[in-house]
Amino acid sequence: MINLLKAETFKLKRNKSFWMIAGLMAGTSILFHILIMTEWWMMSGTKFDAVGLGKLNGLAPFTVPVFFNLAVCSLAAFFISSEFSESGVIRLQVMSGYKRSHVYFAKYLVFSFGTIIITVVIPLLTAALIAVALGHGDILQAQHFQYIVGTYGLFTLQLLGYTAIVMMLAILTEESGKTIIFSILFTVLVFVIEQFAYHPSVGWLYEHTIFHQFSFVFTPELSGAEWMRSTAVGVITILLVLAIGMAVFNRKEIK
Amino acid sequence: MSEYILRTNQLTKRYKQTLALDNVNLHIREGEIYGIIGQNGAGKSTLLRVITGLALPSGGSVELFGKSERNEWVDMQKRIGALIENPALFSNMTAIENLELHRLQRGIPGRECIKKALQLVDLEHTGNKKVKNFSLGMKQRLGIAIALLSDPEFLILDEPTNGLDPTGIVELRQLIKKLNREKGVTVLISSHILSELHQLATSFGIIHKGKLLEELTAKELDEKCRKYLQIKVDDPKKGAIVLEQTLAATDFEVLQDGTIKLYEYLDDVRTVSLALTKNGLVIEHLSHHGDSLENYFTKVIEEVYHD
Repeated sequence: MINLLKAETFKLKRNKSFWMIAGLMAGTSILFHILIMTEWWMMSGTKFDAVGLGKLNGLAPFTVPVFFNLAVCSLAAFFISSEFSESGVIRLQVMSGYKRSHVYFAKYLVFSFGTIIITVVIPLLTAALIAVALGHGDILQAQHFQYIVGTYGLFTLQLLGYTAIVMMLAILTEESGKTIIFSILFTVLVFVIEQFAYHPSVGWLYEHTIFHQFSFVFTPELSGAEWMRSTAVGVITILLVLAIGMAVFNRKEIK
Repeated sequence: MSEYILRTNQLTKRYKQTLALDNVNLHIREGEIYGIIGQNGAGKSTLLRVITGLALPSGGSVELFGKSERNEWVDMQKRIGALIENPALFSNMTAIENLELHRLQRGIPGRECIKKALQLVDLEHTGNKKVKNFSLGMKQRLGIAIALLSDPEFLILDEPTNGLDPTGIVELRQLIKKLNREKGVTVLISSHILSELHQLATSFGIIHKGKLLEELTAKELDEKCRKYLQIKVDDPKKGAIVLEQTLAATDFEVLQDGTIKLYEYLDDVRTVSLALTKNGLVIEHLSHHGDSLENYFTKVIEEVYHD
């Protein structure tokens, strides 16, 4: 397993798409934070406003699935799917004497690591740097820091569930283009379902998905039960989707 | 341990309506160079893909190094090096980076193996050149280097001469022979260039429409492909005496139906004919026989087809 993780990390470090997406996310994030902190762009009504972190409103778009999915699905397409179609290197991994479930899990871990870098670490890091650079370092006080760590901890857990879903899509589609298209369609579908959340049964179901949790986890002062529920939704999604993904991969014909 | 490195038992692979492998029983002994012969679409690649775990069998089993349980079998694949169809490479990486990736994946200690593998396939001077700028032959050689990286006990090569120039083909043949002779590497190789296989393999398997029609050693094949004069005379016993006494021939056989197979005088049919007729024998038939691997292969397929 360690060998597989080393190999996946080696590939991620040399993946041009990863660095390009990371660069784009960093650029976009810096732009958002500068525009918002210098009040060139006003954004209000976010969860960050509610806890007095309006200066960090530039983080808000990076917590919306329709937006961050663009980065996640691109990475899945050019890091996972391309191994099936363009290079065919997945064959060498499958033939290397490791269980397919281990190959899958190693890919998932490194893909998720890359996703966390581009969708969580980069926005947070650039926010902190811009805040300090523009003289708003005071917002990084202990109370806010605690909120950021807690909420982003839960957000990352939901994100791991999402990477499990996108990775399964990438393995099913086997082509970069298809992975991107199906991921976008999937997030649009979730957005449509969200519009029907007023219906009691749909609403209850939707509230118990990572898609609701992506925004819900930023609610100020979550109760213990809400923390537990959010954690359970994230963990169950990860385990369930990983199990299905591994089952699919175990039975997959590698072309 | 089993005497076989690889053995398949009633191995079957079905794709919807198509039977790609039909109850294949393949046997490869340690130290053999086993050539799989078959037309395009005969099932060669499917067989190799099932053996290497890329495709899952619909029925039957694969025994690798004596292990046939799925978990153990997967573990045994660590002892295999394989090149299936086209080489699987990262085009934006160099040859060294591609090999480094597989070294990490296989957990091979030290980087000396990379240099060694590159030297074996004559790619040690490619430097920072990306694989996307390699020729087809260079890519093929890099694929072979990856297969050899972990010093495998069993090497599986699917059409390895694809894209290689004549010199490359000769070098690959010499390399395979060397690995087999010096390191005892067992090799399973598929190719549609039969003359190439004939020079290399010590055993053969003929596959057609998913069925393994025949397995035979190189010796058996040579025997079957051996050139001879086929003679039919009115008195086979007397014919044999004439061959022995008049022509001093020793390498011939008389079959049950009276046909004589003479393995000598292949370029001197006239002498044979004269000797037989001078001794009062009536020649009913006299002709050259014996197959090339291509002819033998075609014959085996045709026989089954007509059956």
